[in-house]
Amino acid sequence: MDHRVNQWTWTRWPRHDSLREALLPNLLVPIDLHDGVPTGPSLFALSEGRRAAHAVGVTVFAIVMTERHLDEKVAAHLGRAGADKVLSCEGPGLGAPPLDVTHGAALYAAVERIPPLLVLFPAGGAGPQLGPGLASRLGGAFAASADLEIGEAATPLADGVARIFVRRWRGDRTSYRRLDPVELERPVVAILPSGGPPADRGTEEVEVEVITCVPPAKVGISELASEADDLAAAALASILVVVDPALGDAAVAKISAAAPAGVAVVDAVAAAPAIATCVPRVVIGVGARGAMVWGTPRSRVGAVLPGAPAPKQQRPPADVLLRVPAGGSLDAIVDDLIASLPALVARAPSEPRS
Amino acid sequence: MNIVVCLHTPPPDPDGPGLGRDDAHALVHALTLAQAKEDSVTALLAGTSHDATPLQRALVAGAARAIRLGGEDYASVDFHTLGQALASGIKHIGADLVLMGARSDDEGLGAVPASTARNLGFPFIAGVEELAAAGPRAVEIVVRGGGRKRRLRVELPAVLSIVAGPRALPAAFNRTGSPRSIELLTLTDPETTVVRRRTELLGKPEPASRGAEEVKSPSDLITALIR
Repeated sequence: MDHRVNQWTWTRWPRHDSLREALLPNLLVPIDLHDGVPTGPSLFALSEGRRAAHAVGVTVFAIVMTERHLDEKVAAHLGRAGADKVLSCEGPGLGAPPLDVTHGAALYAAVERIPPLLVLFPAGGAGPQLGPGLASRLGGAFAASADLEIGEAATPLADGVARIFVRRWRGDRTSYRRLDPVELERPVVAILPSGGPPADRGTEEVEVEVITCVPPAKVGISELASEADDLAAAALASILVVVDPALGDAAVAKISAAAPAGVAVVDAVAAAPAIATCVPRVVIGVGARGAMVWGTPRSRVGAVLPGAPAPKQQRPPADVLLRVPAGGSLDAIVDDLIASLPALVARAPSEPRS
Repeated sequence: MNIVVCLHTPPPDPDGPGLGRDDAHALVHALTLAQAKEDSVTALLAGTSHDATPLQRALVAGAARAIRLGGEDYASVDFHTLGQALASGIKHIGADLVLMGARSDDEGLGAVPASTARNLGFPFIAGVEELAAAGPRAVEIVVRGGGRKRRLRVELPAVLSIVAGPRALPAAFNRTGSPRSIELLTLTDPETTVVRRRTELLGKPEPASRGAEEVKSPSDLITALIR
């Protein structure tokens, strides 16, 4: 146990039942369940938490909000992905898709129980709904698309003890901000990217603690209709191809039909709501409106732009740029891109380099 | 019903509309809702007089009032401070429904609406795609989450963050109005001094360490992306 790391305490936190948990830095991962199954980004977030835990010494908690008793298989799955413990917030209405007004209080109950150093929401899930409200309640920092960096602090805490930073990328990709929760003395709430298949870093033997939640007295919200989200796959994607509709419906359809498993292809305009919540690892924008996607400092963004740049045209915020030469065939470029996508799926890094 | 639309100043772009993408959609939803119910729309922005272009656009597009919160340098504050300032202004104006763009076009946190809602004591829903009236004190919205696309009835008051969707923006957004029509509201909230200390939450900016690489073929593009 490193006592300097354990200086992470907050005097205004309420009393905790577990002295050990009150003193240790904790990393919380709210889990998104689709049809009762944890989403890929949720497992990746746990996996990332476990990676950080090895270096920094944090305890990784998975938070599940559910209407009824948590399935043991789900708990085992979360443990295998990297959770040390599972907090199961159980109460009426918590099985519904999360909103701050219906789920915010339950999440806050878990956070009061286990004071966090970091709260890591998975991509494509409840992060945009619950993350800002939680950060606001905690007085903490918020990063809508971020990744973790393990490194030494400017002022080392102790020999051999690493620090965990959250890096938040600007939309124009000109810079990022490095948030250090220890230095801030406040928790950081962040949404992690969809990093591909998680590495099973933990064990199925995981302790489950139940927090019984009372529903809010007056919600003021009622569900009128519900259907399967046709853009859910795009929001969860770790490899995303965003196509400018100006290129025609046929271009989107052609790339979608040929895309290998693991690649989501969307229309840049029609899928704007899903694009707003996704945090993919690799993005390829096709067309002028294709590359307007957020990411993390570790995300890789490619852009395929038709035509030569206009004199005043700004360089798009991409790491790799392919300009279709004047008079060149975009169809041929799209065909070549389709042929290259399997290589991207096979070789795209799913494990972040620290 | 009083509808307040909170705007922010987008990054400089001579060819841009002068409004953030999500902000523009929030304004369109507010004006459409107000037109149907003969309600009033007030555009609100925290910033200096140099930041007032979005308010001018809102007036031209049909907002009844445009109010600038002055007295502070809001460009360098964090979302806690900005949310508190906007909430103070909204309390002064009076609002049943507050609409905000889901994300700014630069930092893109999407946290100001939640902070504003918390300071107002209003319920908050993020990522609203569609919005329609549902009686005198309620609206219907469409949101996604948990693998579902849901239509919800929300009783007011509420703060909703609007995400840009396929809806086209009206041409009026490309014109400007008279800056003299913009009202100034200066906040004198002693609590603001306390909250402003939280600006260190913005963290330390680091320059980007890599530039864009130009390639000649899709296979080179893929190779460069996975390098």
